[in-house]
Amino acid sequence: MRSFIRSAQSLSILALTVALAAGPAIAALRVGQPAPAFSVSDTSGKVWTLETLAGRPAILEWTNHDCPFVVKHYGAGNMQALQAEAKDAGYVWLSVVSSAPGKQGHVSPSEADDLTQRRSAVPTAVLLDSDGVMGRTYGAMTTPHMYVIDAGGTLAYMGGIDDRPTTNPADIQGATNHVRAAMTDLAAGQAVGTPLTRPYGCSVKY
Amino acid sequence: MDVLVAPRPILYHDRMKTDPSIASTGAVKRRCIADRSGCQRARPIPVGGDALEPERGSWRLDRRLWWCAIAFWFLLGCLSAAANPVATENVVASLVAERTQVAPGSSLELALVLRIRPGWHTYWRNPGDSGEPPRLTWILPDGVIAGPLRWPLPERIPVGPLANYGYSGQAIHPLTLEVPEDWPVGVPLPLRARADWLVCEEHCVPESAELALTLATAPSPGPADPEVAGILAVARAGLPEGRIDGAVLTATDRGLRLSIPWKAGQPSPAEVAWFAGAWGLIEHAAPQSWSWSGDRLEIALTPGSAAESAAPDGLLAVTGADGAVRSFEVAVRRADTALGTKTADQKAPIGLPLALAFALLGGLILNLMPCVFPILAMKAMSLVRGMAGEGADEGRERLRHGLAYTAGVLVFFGALAGLLLALRAGGAAIGWGFQLQYPPFVALMAYVFLTLGLSLSGAVTLGTRLMGLGGAQVGSGTAGAFGTGALAALVAAPCTAPFMGAALGYAVTLSWPLALAIMLTLGLGLALPFLLVSLLPGLARRMPKPGPWMESLKQFLAFPLYGAAAWLVWVLSVQTGPAGVAGVLAGMVLLAFALWLRELGGGRQPWVRRARLLVVVASLAGALALGLSTTRLAPVAANAVGDEAAGFATPYTADRLEAARAEGRPVFVNMTAAWCITCLVNERVALGTAAVTDAFRERNLLYLKGDWTNRDPAITDYLSGFGRNGVPLYVYYPSDGEPRVLPQILTPDLVLEALAGSP
Repeated sequence: MRSFIRSAQSLSILALTVALAAGPAIAALRVGQPAPAFSVSDTSGKVWTLETLAGRPAILEWTNHDCPFVVKHYGAGNMQALQAEAKDAGYVWLSVVSSAPGKQGHVSPSEADDLTQRRSAVPTAVLLDSDGVMGRTYGAMTTPHMYVIDAGGTLAYMGGIDDRPTTNPADIQGATNHVRAAMTDLAAGQAVGTPLTRPYGCSVKY
Repeated sequence: MDVLVAPRPILYHDRMKTDPSIASTGAVKRRCIADRSGCQRARPIPVGGDALEPERGSWRLDRRLWWCAIAFWFLLGCLSAAANPVATENVVASLVAERTQVAPGSSLELALVLRIRPGWHTYWRNPGDSGEPPRLTWILPDGVIAGPLRWPLPERIPVGPLANYGYSGQAIHPLTLEVPEDWPVGVPLPLRARADWLVCEEHCVPESAELALTLATAPSPGPADPEVAGILAVARAGLPEGRIDGAVLTATDRGLRLSIPWKAGQPSPAEVAWFAGAWGLIEHAAPQSWSWSGDRLEIALTPGSAAESAAPDGLLAVTGADGAVRSFEVAVRRADTALGTKTADQKAPIGLPLALAFALLGGLILNLMPCVFPILAMKAMSLVRGMAGEGADEGRERLRHGLAYTAGVLVFFGALAGLLLALRAGGAAIGWGFQLQYPPFVALMAYVFLTLGLSLSGAVTLGTRLMGLGGAQVGSGTAGAFGTGALAALVAAPCTAPFMGAALGYAVTLSWPLALAIMLTLGLGLALPFLLVSLLPGLARRMPKPGPWMESLKQFLAFPLYGAAAWLVWVLSVQTGPAGVAGVLAGMVLLAFALWLRELGGGRQPWVRRARLLVVVASLAGALALGLSTTRLAPVAANAVGDEAAGFATPYTADRLEAARAEGRPVFVNMTAAWCITCLVNERVALGTAAVTDAFRERNLLYLKGDWTNRDPAITDYLSGFGRNGVPLYVYYPSDGEPRVLPQILTPDLVLEALAGSP
């Protein structure tokens, strides 16, 4: 009888979880596990998936050009410098926009390209995830929210871009950039020393 | 005094040139265009102005008025850029003090008040999935100390699939300011702070204000400001009422389970919400289900990205049936890591085969316990006396007895396991030996031991059908053997053998069939020697020949039972104090009287017999009532155990342990109970010896002792943190290193080696 009640309880909890998961749930990802699959078009209409990366390491950057925290890093040239560094180190850099249509940060392909040009940004591609499927799969919470995937397709880092959760560009100098640190660790063949931090910024406008 | 000279004010015009984030921030940019010139970041407004009323209209004051204000403040900025209150795009910020006149050497309450534009919100200390909490950066004269911001209960704000913890309408953050004693009386006290906050509707705007407040100083504090008193009263109503210790977070395959002690006297909650104190512990947006079980609140939580590493403390919000919301800070410990610093080998609980082996061994050892041995010895003798024959009948009879006895033991252990598991499932914080935490049980056990002792002494004759003991007769039947088995299991319970603690601690973490298997294996261990004797005629033959010596041995064996009874009375004295002892001693006298009267016999007339029966029953009832009445006696203060052995022990609390660990002091934790013989022996032969106490003192070691004689959820939690479910438990925390668990049987050398092994 006890076990029956327990099974019934777990079943109802399971059913509830499934019901909620079908709705607006956010995935809890684990660093050290394979990065989850995605399939999203970039501004030129090209579809990107995990397989497209073909053994190259990648950095995912959730972005919203109107968010003050994003503006901090683009305005000071910090994000662009990091993109250039990553590209030189052989990384694929994917900027992901998960803002829903009508929400802050939502851009058309041409607006996105325009922003890239205007800000002298150098991502490999800007992915337009306006239905938020990729964002939810990755559990992207803030802009910016950074993910580093190693060449083997394993999630090596996720969290904030650095350790100063402010909108003041003066705080970039002297901050520890977690993404750069992760790239350094991976280049040295080591496990990432700080694989998970609190992402900071505006909420992703799903 | 240089502090009175303002630093170069940070004005919006300056920031516009250097801070592109502000210039291109959507919301602020739109305002800049509207103003058609440098828009002010912080708009000082007159104190007491209606901008403090967060009505929609107050946000649209005449722009020309603002211009005047800006010009005025721009000029004044050379002297001081700070004001109070300050209106920004979305917030009116102010710094208020409970009184405007303060005395040196005293403290006073301040508050940062953020009146938030409708529809917008600021954040709690853990902002949730996004956002940032407000911050105050002080510029204070030397010696003046501002405490940290305090955080009223936030609300959970859903943002699509995400959730934030924050405030809407207004956020009042009280803090305490301490004025040094040497502050010259009469000299005004200037307070300046830069407040930074993020305020969000759906999009977010970072805002800040330079706030200033000057307090007069006088020999005595001035009267409280009634307006501010009102603000502070609102703030206090939202602050946590207190702190709850002893909460445990357990990671299960179905998510996180948070178990929070909840005093039975408190009204049961209608609604419960958990606010994680740090990011990453839980998924902030996930629904939380909770159940209310006796003296624990159990909350099921969905783990977040940093569920293993995030600090588990947080805030519990409880809505009563009347709709009133109360909140409590909760100190949480992880069940899988005792205070987050457990060594790897303790993390892995012992495996099932090893647990079964320990259970069997523990059961075997129970046979040698002073409370069990007399019963077994008598039972074995009954075999010798009557069933040592070689015939098929005797063999069958022996087998029948052996099996009945084993069944008695197993049924009792099974029932005990069922009760333990049922109570566990109900959330009660209990462990092995839990039955001894109830004084009436202890009292009744003392009666049982006294009765058995009297029986062995030959003072009374017990019905053989009842106990199968009295005359140790062969023909007492299967029921008698079964009864003996159950009795052996019952009296074995107080004698928790070493090895059993770990096996049982492991058992309660398992699914119930496996847990039951462990308990039954323990019972099998207890029954095994007798079962073997009854199964193997060879063994029975090798037992000594019956003779008059058996009667002497029987009478001698009464004394361990009297000893056990005396010990239980002492346990009761620890649990209930002198009143309980008086009750149970009176009960014992009544019991002995009833047994004697029953034994007396005689009396031809039916009325004499009836009267005698009546007195016997009345005496027994009286004894029973006295025994049961011990439950109403208030438990004696904790830590009455073994003080004579180690008088310098400090009662265990999680706080004390944490504090000592934080200051790098080595700690020795001893979890004990008055009814745990192993514990008492260890204290006597090891922990209480001069060598050990001297070593403790030399190292400035904090000796913490947890007394589990009565129920104590904090100790149950601590035990479960080490995968244990019973006492004793000895843990040594070196000043800088992982805690070390010591064996359950201690010697002075063992303790000294553990201490010396530390760096």
